[in-house]
Amino acid sequence: MKEVRAGYFFLLPALLYVCVFGLYPLLYNISLSLRDVTFISYVQGTARFVGLGNYQELVRDTIFRRTFSNTLLFTGLSLFFQFTIGFLLALLFHRPFPLKGVLQSLIMVPWVLPIIVSGSFFRWFFSDNGMLNGFLTAFGIATRPIPWITSSHLPILSVTMANIWLGIPFNFVLLYTGLQGIPEELLESAAIDGATGWQRVVYIVTPLLKPVILATLTLGCIFTVKVFDLVWIITQGGPGDVSHLFSTLSYSLAFNKLHFGKAAAVLVIMLLVVAALTVFLNLFQREA
Amino acid sequence: MRRFVFLCVVVFLLSMAVAHAQKVTVTIQDYFDPAGGMAKFVDRWAEEYMKANPNVEVKHVYIPFAQLLPTILQQALTKTLPEVVMADNPWVPNLIKAGVYLDITDKVKEWGWENWEDFFKGHRDLTSADGKIYALQVTTNNLALFYRKSILEKAGIAEPPKTWAELKEVSAKIKEATGAYGFGFCATASEEGTWQFEPFLWSNGGSLFELDAPEAIEALSFLVEMVEKGYTPRDVVNVSGQGDVTQWFINGEVAMMENGNWEFGWHLTPDVLEQLGDVGVATLPVPREGMRPIVPFGGECYGIGANTVDPQKLKVAWDFLSYIASSDGMLAANLEHGGLPTRASAAEKIGAQKPILAPFLEQAKYALPRPLVGGGEKYPDVSSTTWTAIQRALTGMKTPEEALKEAAATIRGLFSPEEFEAHKKQARELLSAASGK
Repeated sequence: MKEVRAGYFFLLPALLYVCVFGLYPLLYNISLSLRDVTFISYVQGTARFVGLGNYQELVRDTIFRRTFSNTLLFTGLSLFFQFTIGFLLALLFHRPFPLKGVLQSLIMVPWVLPIIVSGSFFRWFFSDNGMLNGFLTAFGIATRPIPWITSSHLPILSVTMANIWLGIPFNFVLLYTGLQGIPEELLESAAIDGATGWQRVVYIVTPLLKPVILATLTLGCIFTVKVFDLVWIITQGGPGDVSHLFSTLSYSLAFNKLHFGKAAAVLVIMLLVVAALTVFLNLFQREA
Repeated sequence: MRRFVFLCVVVFLLSMAVAHAQKVTVTIQDYFDPAGGMAKFVDRWAEEYMKANPNVEVKHVYIPFAQLLPTILQQALTKTLPEVVMADNPWVPNLIKAGVYLDITDKVKEWGWENWEDFFKGHRDLTSADGKIYALQVTTNNLALFYRKSILEKAGIAEPPKTWAELKEVSAKIKEATGAYGFGFCATASEEGTWQFEPFLWSNGGSLFELDAPEAIEALSFLVEMVEKGYTPRDVVNVSGQGDVTQWFINGEVAMMENGNWEFGWHLTPDVLEQLGDVGVATLPVPREGMRPIVPFGGECYGIGANTVDPQKLKVAWDFLSYIASSDGMLAANLEHGGLPTRASAAEKIGAQKPILAPFLEQAKYALPRPLVGGGEKYPDVSSTTWTAIQRALTGMKTPEEALKEAAATIRGLFSPEEFEAHKKQARELLSAASGK
């Protein structure tokens, strides 16, 4: 009994940390989202309680609905391509070949670069007079510049492409490390039994990697839903509010329009979406 | 022994407290680039002031632009505002209402009312409320037309365009002769986007409260046409700010641009100007000949933080404010900063020293404070609605008419009908006074 009490005592610092830096901001954010908080009402402490008013306004707002589908599209496409490409690269690098070390370091470049650098690069890369359009028109693939980030539907796809490029190293590293844990004998004996390369990947590697795959997808999902800097640097959620994610919309509501309550409501919704996706992915874990 | 240690500690703590009490610490908080002219000017004042008053410590704290408003908000909430609070001018009505600034009317009266009356009307309107003064604007700026003489000459043009029709014509000739874009402006999803549109809107007789009126639609349609004809790069919606447009201008990718006088202290420094050797400035083109270019004014204000109670600190803060806002102090600060003075007496002197500023100084006489013609404390809302409409029209998602009608409805919805009419009327009055009609 005494030991149990001592155990709780040792838990205290961690608990305090979580309460002060995790729980309190979270609850405060929720309380903000239920009030009509603007610059003046915030400073004077006169923010009115509006219940779910902020949420109702958001649901009616076409920009928010666009943002919702943008975030799902951004997350879905990013996860799918980052994972697939990362997995294929991990399989490739699992066997020795010349220059492997050099290439492996090169794959990590996107991860090492500060986002302000890669983001500024992509803004120029996708612009009407940028590198991509220069390439496309020079080779006659497009006759006039494609409005990658200056039109209604392409900007969200363009930032998704940039994010896929950024996320490949993360998926690669986790999956590659996971692959190292699979005993070589297992694959060898499968090969002797006549399993083709594809069969080995599907029936041996994938099931053994399942915990790693789920962890990668869960982390990737959390990281992707809350991406902010990349989109902010490339499009600022524009043009005309068509490429917002939850994070950029919330920032713009808070610091461009000074609607702190509504901005907080967007974040609460973002949190719910992340939670739902994480629970969904964890369902597979339990099955395993 | 124990008692001795205790005594030592007490003596030490007391002496610390006394030393602390002797030193008066005053903080000046702003977002001026620490390497730039204005920051250097303030630093020099602080250094000299501390030399003359050894018991005073002046701290000059730099907060990046994007963080300043959240920082002030946090300080106001926790009642830890610094003694001198700087703010970008469109925030000032909000900050006054929120109680961030101390009422300095009496200080100004002591200083001399003629000083206050020397400030241009727009700046007085902005920094006061209900007859009380809360801050002083020390520097201003506005937008004019920058042009590259050599590129214009290649296209056979001697004079910069004066009207919208000429701007279009000159751009067409430049495109034909050199392949360069004629005209660059900034249409980002930020206040900069709205601020660069306002001269076109206002000079044409439009108002942010009548965005569905023909004057507003005509103004936006003109800019859309410039982009569609290829006279302006469509990338104007995605530049990271007005500085990017200057970069195009320096590279010769655009021959003319709408930009501000701060560029002389930022990208178009004297050495760059000398290197290019062909940069000219003119007032912004107007819809039709004989009209006046009506621009919004920018610039920063200093005021005293509401939590300043200690009279000693108050004195230091006021010493700073009354120096940088004096005619000579303001002139020196703006010469170094590349800004325009907000007082008539200082503006006159700077015009004689820097003739390139003439178009800006001319426009400054009628320049308007954005919040007062844009919905007061709801200006951020009005502005973001407007820049969204501009971006939608420029990228072809909507026609200018559709985009602006939608924006007009949104802006109407921000206010109660009475409030809306009051703001509309106030905007109309200020606009017609500025247009001189």
